[in-house]
Amino acid sequence: MKKNRYFFLMLLVTLFQAICLFEIILKLEATDLRYPAIAFGGYILLEWIYFIIHRGIMRSQSFEVELIGFFLSGIGLAITVSVYPEKSIIQLAAILLGFAGYLVLLWILKDVERCMKLRYIAAVGSVGLLGLTLMLAKFTNGAKNWLYFGGMSIQPSELVKVAFVFVGAATLEKLQSTRSLTRYIVFAVACIGCLFLMYDFGTALIFFFTFIVISFLRSGDIRTIVFICVIAALGAVLILMFKPYVASRFSSYMHIWEDVEGGGFQQTRTLTYAVSGGLFGLGLGNGELRNIFAATEDLVFGVVSEEFGLIIAFSIMLTYVGLLAYAIKNSKSVHSTFYSILSVSAAALLLFQAAVNVFGVSDLIPFTGVTLPFISRGGSSIMGCWMLLSFIKAVSFKEKGAATK
Amino acid sequence: MRAIANRSKWLFALIGLFLFGLCILGYRFFTNAEGWTGMKYNKHLFESGTLVSGGKILDREGVPLAYNEDGARRFNDDRAIRMSTLHTIGDLEGYISTGIHARYKSVLTGYSYIDGLYNTVANGSGNDITLTISAELCATAYRALDGRKGVVGVYNYRTGEVLCCTSAPSFDTRNRPSEQEVKENDSYEGVYIDRFVSGEYVPGSIFKIVTAAAAIDNIPDIYSQTFECDGEYNIGEGIVKCNGVHGKISFEKALSHSCNCAFAQIAEQLGNQKLQEEAEKLGFNDSSAAGGNYLNFTGNKIDLSKAKKLDLGWAGIGQYTTKVNPCRYLTLVGAIANGGASPKPYVVSKITTSSGIKVFSQKTKLMDEYMSGETASKLKKMLRFDVEDVYGDWSFPNLEMCGKTGTAEVGGDKRPHAWFVGFSQREDLPLAVVVIIENGGSGSGNAIPVANRVMQEAKKLYEN
Repeated sequence: MKKNRYFFLMLLVTLFQAICLFEIILKLEATDLRYPAIAFGGYILLEWIYFIIHRGIMRSQSFEVELIGFFLSGIGLAITVSVYPEKSIIQLAAILLGFAGYLVLLWILKDVERCMKLRYIAAVGSVGLLGLTLMLAKFTNGAKNWLYFGGMSIQPSELVKVAFVFVGAATLEKLQSTRSLTRYIVFAVACIGCLFLMYDFGTALIFFFTFIVISFLRSGDIRTIVFICVIAALGAVLILMFKPYVASRFSSYMHIWEDVEGGGFQQTRTLTYAVSGGLFGLGLGNGELRNIFAATEDLVFGVVSEEFGLIIAFSIMLTYVGLLAYAIKNSKSVHSTFYSILSVSAAALLLFQAAVNVFGVSDLIPFTGVTLPFISRGGSSIMGCWMLLSFIKAVSFKEKGAATK
Repeated sequence: MRAIANRSKWLFALIGLFLFGLCILGYRFFTNAEGWTGMKYNKHLFESGTLVSGGKILDREGVPLAYNEDGARRFNDDRAIRMSTLHTIGDLEGYISTGIHARYKSVLTGYSYIDGLYNTVANGSGNDITLTISAELCATAYRALDGRKGVVGVYNYRTGEVLCCTSAPSFDTRNRPSEQEVKENDSYEGVYIDRFVSGEYVPGSIFKIVTAAAAIDNIPDIYSQTFECDGEYNIGEGIVKCNGVHGKISFEKALSHSCNCAFAQIAEQLGNQKLQEEAEKLGFNDSSAAGGNYLNFTGNKIDLSKAKKLDLGWAGIGQYTTKVNPCRYLTLVGAIANGGASPKPYVVSKITTSSGIKVFSQKTKLMDEYMSGETASKLKKMLRFDVEDVYGDWSFPNLEMCGKTGTAEVGGDKRPHAWFVGFSQREDLPLAVVVIIENGGSGSGNAIPVANRVMQEAKKLYEN
């Protein structure tokens, strides 16, 4: 019964992706057809190979998390392929890499002892990577968060995000001593500090939120959490006072319609084109928002709304809710607190990031330019998301040493 | 483990907050979508600020009044048609807020809450709007006004369709006056106002229709009364002047000769309250009938609560603080013609998608009854008698007109406004007309010729 349900859902997801490919091909010149076909062909193949091994051979029960990942990544792939056909293969490669990371992490997570050992490497590596970025990166669109290796570019903060959750959950699992807490705070301050120095405030906010969630899950001490938040708020106020450049980044907040050609340019375009699509969308490739800068990254919610329609756009928002609800629901039956904390905080991070993205671009909160998990184009981002997904999946480990039985 | 699970339940609050945010977002989308899609940078609709995907606006015969061609919004080629229909269809800059371009923006752009701009993008154009007005008739009316400020309105009192509504002054969309000119040049006074639906004027003698209606309903022996007129009527606090010396005069003759003395006396007999009540029955001080897909006209206004005896005398002949709107007053004579109730006037007859599918078709809807059928038929007889007795059927050849003129004093040394309201009683020509020429002089000398010229042209539309 359950098995058939997942099979049916997988068929629906595949059908959806096939329709996307069809729509893309209709819009393209005949010579360009190869890349979209390879990208989607490869992606659908990946989905079904995994499905068959996972469900057919390994006879695993849970498939919710992967299904959501496949659905969301598919939409992201469709938009990337449609807007940048020549980048189809890169996006597919990023998904494949992310998926590989997902599998590797699932294997690593099975052994809690192994995780405890790895946490030092992860912590040192994270701070090192962020420090390196800070030294080497140049300002791109107001933030210093890209590293370039030859022809490749990565956004280290997206990968550090994964390590940040991992280190947090692992450190606090081991010892509930002042020392381990202090170490984690030092680590968090180092990461968030680096992000601030990079002017990547959206990501800094996400890290801070994750830090709060992990600390709370571990200690349950509301007073300390409130205290930390107050300190952080004061710090933020100080920064805004002494660094007017930072404040000016947010000056258009709540005033976007008064400055449609300036500070409100991207937000107003997103909102206008999002509602232009109506409930069912204009169809993939028929939108106008795609021609605006960062359409497939920061503004991708608008592209989804315009081309796929508001129903799908809002449904995507609900899938992030679904992931967190799944993690919370399963956190009580898992055998190790490490898994519960890992899973709940990873899901909370994704939901929070989606909120910062969508509410930011629609002017409910200041616009900071973070990616929408799984949907936004970008290799580092998609890889980070899949790895976080493995943390959420970890909550389905029912007994020590055995995954997803 | 339990502790962690319990603590993690706190994160449902985060989910709640997130869902709350989504609700706010959805609400903002719903309430602002029309305005957001109409932003001039929206490339689905605009090209360098010009609406390129807007549907056509057509007159009753399919004559294009506004349409898109070669990436630009164009108006009709005939200057008189452009000038005479300007207020009805509205400008592109949105100064004329009552025009079709402003009120039906989302229809023209093809926006819908369900499909967004899907149809517009798929067909390259929004919805077409067919109006009830005749471009040729409007142009005739505009020419008849001959550069004077004022209004000409004609509607079918059986269906409510407006065949002609012209408001002057106007301007040519191909040669738009600058802000400076509009501000400084008196000939552009109120140029962005559609006087037909938004104008408010002193009624003068056309208000005697209301006083007469009140008399019929409240004074049982009104038809057997005679009134004394020696050129002025002394109320004690002062006098009401008449336009002539009518001697002994009956109720019907008092209306046809527009005797101020007689109507001041009738108002006196009625008293403040009765006259106020009758006016309100006839739709004064009510704005509920307007709007929606019908014309959004302003109401007539009357307040006799503070009127002294002399004021009441003047009020009975339409020279107090009372103000009337041409469109609303047209429905009053329309109701007389139609047996007591008027249909709601409208200019939009149908909306079709660019592929020709009809999405909206206007229906006749009666407004609240103004008067009983009996009162209506008595008033109709009197208005017919006005034409037969005083204005002359030769003024309206073959129209069988009923009507009333007005010469509304506006104070100072300005000339009075010239009014005519009336209708044809011919079954095959169910049209009512309103004409006001600001500072135009006497109603019979100035408004009647305009009314006749427009009605003769309108008649042609019913002869085919």
